[in-house]
Amino acid sequence: MRLLAVGGVIAYRALFNWTTPSMFVGTLLVGPLFQLLFFAFLGRQLGVADDTFYIVGNAVLAASLACVFGGTMAVSNERRYGTLGHVLLSPRPRTLVFLGRAIPYAGNGLLIAAFTLTVGSLLLGLRIPLGALPGLALTLAVGSLSCAFFGLTLGALGLRFRDVWLVSNVSVSLLLLLTGVNVPADHLPAWMRVVGGGLPITHSAEAARRLVAGDGFGAALSPLGREVAVGAAYAVVAALLLKIFEAESRRRASLDTL
Amino acid sequence: MTLLRLIGVATLLHVKQLSRSQFEIATALFVPLVQATLAVYLFRAGTEPHRLLEAAVGAGMMAVWSSVLFGSGGAIQMQRWQGTLEMLMLAPRPPALLVFPITLATAVTGTYAMIATLLWGGLVYRIPLDVADPVAFAVSVPAAILGLGMFGLLLASTFVLLPNANAINNTLEYPIWLVSGMLVPITVLPGWTGPIGAVLPTTWAARAVRESVTGSGPVWPSLGICLAISAVCLAAGAVTMSYVERRARANATLALA
Repeated sequence: MRLLAVGGVIAYRALFNWTTPSMFVGTLLVGPLFQLLFFAFLGRQLGVADDTFYIVGNAVLAASLACVFGGTMAVSNERRYGTLGHVLLSPRPRTLVFLGRAIPYAGNGLLIAAFTLTVGSLLLGLRIPLGALPGLALTLAVGSLSCAFFGLTLGALGLRFRDVWLVSNVSVSLLLLLTGVNVPADHLPAWMRVVGGGLPITHSAEAARRLVAGDGFGAALSPLGREVAVGAAYAVVAALLLKIFEAESRRRASLDTL
Repeated sequence: MTLLRLIGVATLLHVKQLSRSQFEIATALFVPLVQATLAVYLFRAGTEPHRLLEAAVGAGMMAVWSSVLFGSGGAIQMQRWQGTLEMLMLAPRPPALLVFPITLATAVTGTYAMIATLLWGGLVYRIPLDVADPVAFAVSVPAAILGLGMFGLLLASTFVLLPNANAINNTLEYPIWLVSGMLVPITVLPGWTGPIGAVLPTTWAARAVRESVTGSGPVWPSLGICLAISAVCLAAGAVTMSYVERRARANATLALA
């Protein structure tokens, strides 16, 4: 547990070697808020869904930027900055080292999602039942963690492919389309709903909407369970890919090849 | 003539350079299609499925803006990383003339997004390309892109003064989409956003292209206003760029700023 926590915290602090407060505020707080407003006004104009649908959906989605890119950076930046070899030489289990890195990013995602939900609600006048808040916090946390493991899976690809940012960029834009956050799932084709079901955010957005609607935690439990399953699946896939690509990069002596 | 040749050749050079980046190509190829798909499903889900062509055109304009924003914001930084910034600034030409082709090149690559979203809409979603005024459309799209390229120079010069241009880039994408009325009509936004949108060339560019597609208004005045505002941006960008260059030379911070 110590390795998991301390490794994650150190890696997160290292990120702030180059991430400045203005970058954090501009990219991770203000950016998602404008995204929420854009889709809320568009949805309102087109009559697709009400403000609540967009506020809650985009608040959950807000975590994805920090978590997907954070998870990706957690692995691929080691290679970029030439420190991957040192990590892989460590006598401790690398799976734990890398999985631990997802946790601070998930915490970051939770903070961003909570900020977006709060400010979005204040700006557009959404009232959230007080009783729903604990469940909502749990839902946002699960969604963020699931997203961070998804990002870690993409980061693992960074051990094999040169330009993993491409995959991350495309993935983030796909989350916008396929998770039912902005287009209600019943308006999407069946295959998109199936793909969306295997992506992070989809089920936590559904759970959050049920909680805000006042349906109670029991109603949110089922989608929340599915989100946990999706997140756990990505954690396993990330661990497997990290092991496979680590072994391959040692065998092919391609560890630091950029 | 020499001036036009310089801009033409330099723009072509930077377009070629952008075309060598797998990241640029794949992002430019894929993300606009995702945005167009999103727009199509949103318009279908709503009460206005007959406006699908407008949705595709709006998504195209959004992609052009993204391309200009990120390209212009990163123009100086990219030259710095590539080690070519000093050489650019040593050239016996005003710095604005050397940076403008970079911003124009990002707008030109954004043209693909417009074509791709229309083709995507036509081929995949069977959106009929019933453009109300094809001639005005054929003129307004490249003119709007030229205007955005000129606006890009002002962005590039402003971003040089700011230590974290990326933070600004990431923040400005959605607000400009919103207040320029690229997908959301400006009329549904709060009244105070109106004056902001009115001074942005993106608003008039989107309006001109939309009017050429729908025939909802006269295209040429909108296009004229877009180009006039863009020309002002170009002049302001040129002045700022010269000031920044002189200051960076005096402080010996060209490679560091």
